[in-house]
Amino acid sequence: MSLRRLYSTVNNAEIAHFSKLSAHWWDEHGEFAFLHKMNPARVQFIQQKLKEIHHDDHPGTPAPSNSLKGLDALDIGCGGGLLSESLARLGANTLGIDASESNISIASHHASHDPKLSRSLEYQHTTSESLLDHPKRYDIVCSMEVLEHVNNPALFLDTCAQLVKPGGHLFLSTIARTPLSDFLTIFLAEHVLRKVTVGTHTHSKFINSTELVSFFQKYPRSKPKTESGSSSGELSTSPSDTDTVPWISPHSPANEPMRTQAEIRGLIYNPLQANWYLAPRGAWAAAECNYLFWVRKPLV
Amino acid sequence: MLLVPSSTSRICCVVAKNHSKLFLKPTRRLSTPSGSGHEECDVVIVGGGPAGLALASALGSSQVVRENLRVALVEGGDLSKLRDWSPKSGAFSNRVSSLTNASQAFLQGVGAWDFVDAERTAPIEEMQVWDGISDARINFVAEDLGLTSEDGMARLTENFNLQRALLRHLNTFPQVELIDKTRVQTIVRDADDRGGWPLVQLDNGRTLRTRLLVGADGFNSPVRSYAQIPSFGWSYDTQAIVATLIHEPRGAFQSPNTTAYQRFLPTGPIAFLPLSATSSSLVWSTKPGLASALLASDPSVLAGLINAAFRLPEISLRYLHNRILQGHASGQVLTPAEIREEIFWREQSHSIDAHSAYSSSHAVAAIDAQGEQADAIEGKRFNNAGIPPEDAELFPPLVTSLLPGTVASFPLRFNHTETYIGEGSGSRTVLVGDAAHTVHPLAGQGLNLGLADVECLAKCIENALQQGGDIGSYTALMPYAQERYLKNHTVMSAIDKLHKIYTSTAEPVVWARSVGVEVLNELDTVKAALMLTAGAKQNQYNRNGASGEQQRPDAAMWEAAAKGVESVVAANNTVKVLGRGLAGMVGMGLYNLLKESGYAPPSTPSATSTNDRHANGSSNDSNGSVPPDSTQPRK
Repeated sequence: MSLRRLYSTVNNAEIAHFSKLSAHWWDEHGEFAFLHKMNPARVQFIQQKLKEIHHDDHPGTPAPSNSLKGLDALDIGCGGGLLSESLARLGANTLGIDASESNISIASHHASHDPKLSRSLEYQHTTSESLLDHPKRYDIVCSMEVLEHVNNPALFLDTCAQLVKPGGHLFLSTIARTPLSDFLTIFLAEHVLRKVTVGTHTHSKFINSTELVSFFQKYPRSKPKTESGSSSGELSTSPSDTDTVPWISPHSPANEPMRTQAEIRGLIYNPLQANWYLAPRGAWAAAECNYLFWVRKPLV
Repeated sequence: MLLVPSSTSRICCVVAKNHSKLFLKPTRRLSTPSGSGHEECDVVIVGGGPAGLALASALGSSQVVRENLRVALVEGGDLSKLRDWSPKSGAFSNRVSSLTNASQAFLQGVGAWDFVDAERTAPIEEMQVWDGISDARINFVAEDLGLTSEDGMARLTENFNLQRALLRHLNTFPQVELIDKTRVQTIVRDADDRGGWPLVQLDNGRTLRTRLLVGADGFNSPVRSYAQIPSFGWSYDTQAIVATLIHEPRGAFQSPNTTAYQRFLPTGPIAFLPLSATSSSLVWSTKPGLASALLASDPSVLAGLINAAFRLPEISLRYLHNRILQGHASGQVLTPAEIREEIFWREQSHSIDAHSAYSSSHAVAAIDAQGEQADAIEGKRFNNAGIPPEDAELFPPLVTSLLPGTVASFPLRFNHTETYIGEGSGSRTVLVGDAAHTVHPLAGQGLNLGLADVECLAKCIENALQQGGDIGSYTALMPYAQERYLKNHTVMSAIDKLHKIYTSTAEPVVWARSVGVEVLNELDTVKAALMLTAGAKQNQYNRNGASGEQQRPDAAMWEAAAKGVESVVAANNTVKVLGRGLAGMVGMGLYNLLKESGYAPPSTPSATSTNDRHANGSSNDSNGSVPPDSTQPRK
């Protein structure tokens, strides 16, 4: 059981690839410069959504200035810990996990320099599936730029979803499978500009936002378990036996889910300022390349 | 003061296997000096000058910063002396700055401006700027820029007044630790396996390990050396003489002393900045040789030469300055009587009537009679009683004496670092103010650039903090450099070019200036520069602004100013052929740029309100023989 879980979604070749690059995680001008610059926009999105939901849940009460404070956060595929550190600094009790041991040692080492992080940040070399063996569930589960690197996206999403507390939040970021993303993230970033090591991305593994929405429109499913994962691209919903209310209403359009259930926001890179921006809500074609996805687990 | 609580590590999650190294060890008490011999800080500011204190103030005034960051400021001097600074009323310090409206708005936003003693500040409501050779002149008033005269274009403030205000403001934020009477001994880099954070070793034995080290430590910045940030620049071969000037109040029929005057002499600009009805501040940039001769002179001789420097034709000034230099070299220093005689003689040779505004020799006589007893002059009005001479307001009030102990000088230079953010082995460092850039004081921009840096950096730190960023990281600091570097560089280049064009002795430039052809052009440029000194009102620069972010048109304006000067330089070879047509064209182009930025006054682009009067006479000036007609009184 645990073996199945350990290796079911982790792609060994991908792990080897990132382990090789792990020393560069904290080089702000190097291989992961794009991610360093993307990080503030991710955090901004997380904070916006938490604030917004707080407002919906408790109308009339002012939202706390720091919406992450005291929450339990899980960062799956934390890499060097770029997001984990930010979450921990904002007061979330953060656990960062990664299937690459060298990533975890880089992340731990880096965090150890910072006296502010030791209280709220922890790293483990493990997989999301292994965490299911433990009872702990999280207010926020994040998995940034991971989905496009896993073996079985449906099973991975299912695992992520199970780790979320009822009423909690799942944040993902990934890349849409479009001609634009092929051009920008693979042709330009890897082959022309050489900003990202060749082979970092595989276009066929990219996932469109509509596919994520339709996954959660059918999630959780109450039909019996199927062991085999589907091939990449086509997401089939994996089972969960606890609850049956779908996370996203099945009737909402896939490109525009209900605001209180899910949201897709584009991440736009401005090459002149060398920085990432959160696209305005509902911006046209914003989710054609890099995008953020948020979905909330129903309270019941 | 320990703001970082000791970290009793909370092992929260259960999974024991594959625990990382960090959590196997019991966590050190990182914040105490006992453990590793140092204290943990988030921001260490080196330097308690206006920029450093303003940054501490801005950070202290931010709630999110106060709650999350431990901020310390290290200063070698005694800050309590500054905090308790209590000067006699009317006795002004010689170190003053003209704070633009943007700088004032920043200080108001932070909450520090309330602590400034407003009685000791003075608005500049009008500026008179003229060319030392052609006498072509521009003047503009606050209303032209859409400002009320109450706001003025800028506000002259003693640096001590500002620093004291910042310190009093900081008193309300005990979270910001001020470590004064303490010098930074060395700055070293912490071990690589501890992240290589800067370790600031103080001469009192304390060591601060800091997430971010801010160099607000002036031109010879130790932080800059630690960060190994190269800088480039040059000395101007110019010395600035500063002094507090005592003069009679303006007469009953004149406007109050709220006009700033600046004359661009070939040796450098001389500026008169009003502080009160009877006090003003001098900034006289001139050649080092002349500066030391002037500084060695009797104060009343210097006062006489200051009056003359604003009034006499350039040719006579050159003569007077040579006399001073000769006297200084030979050891036979000119007496007040001798200098009065010299000035009187020069005035006569230019047919300047003793009652005209262009005459200053009678003031020297008064100085001679009074010696240094400025206070005793009370009631003895030699210039301002009754109807003032025509054109009296073209010149500053006649200086009667210099406030003892305020005459000083310092060398001028241009300096700009290659970057503001340290990288590699100098990472987690950032520079603000003079540590990053020094500039000629002719446009009064030095401190304003520093305050704009500080405003931007504080905002940048706050933003990074709100997004969970590491405020010492390059990613967090990058927006600061992106916003400030080019803006500063544009302003600095424009000021540098202004200085160069006015002190140029290159033949075509002098020729162009002397016949007044290029003057329109140049003065438009000066005008653009000085408008920026004035700055705009807060609400004015939202005009073309995007939502949220305040749009400062400063950079665009300075670019316009710089382009203007560049056109002059480029045009020098062709200007003889093209003549006035070209000058008008370039001037018009600049005017349009100004108009686009919403700055141009509604009047015509011809900046020279009094130029017509001077133009005919000025062409003779380069020959050095005949004084221009225009300087003759028209009585």
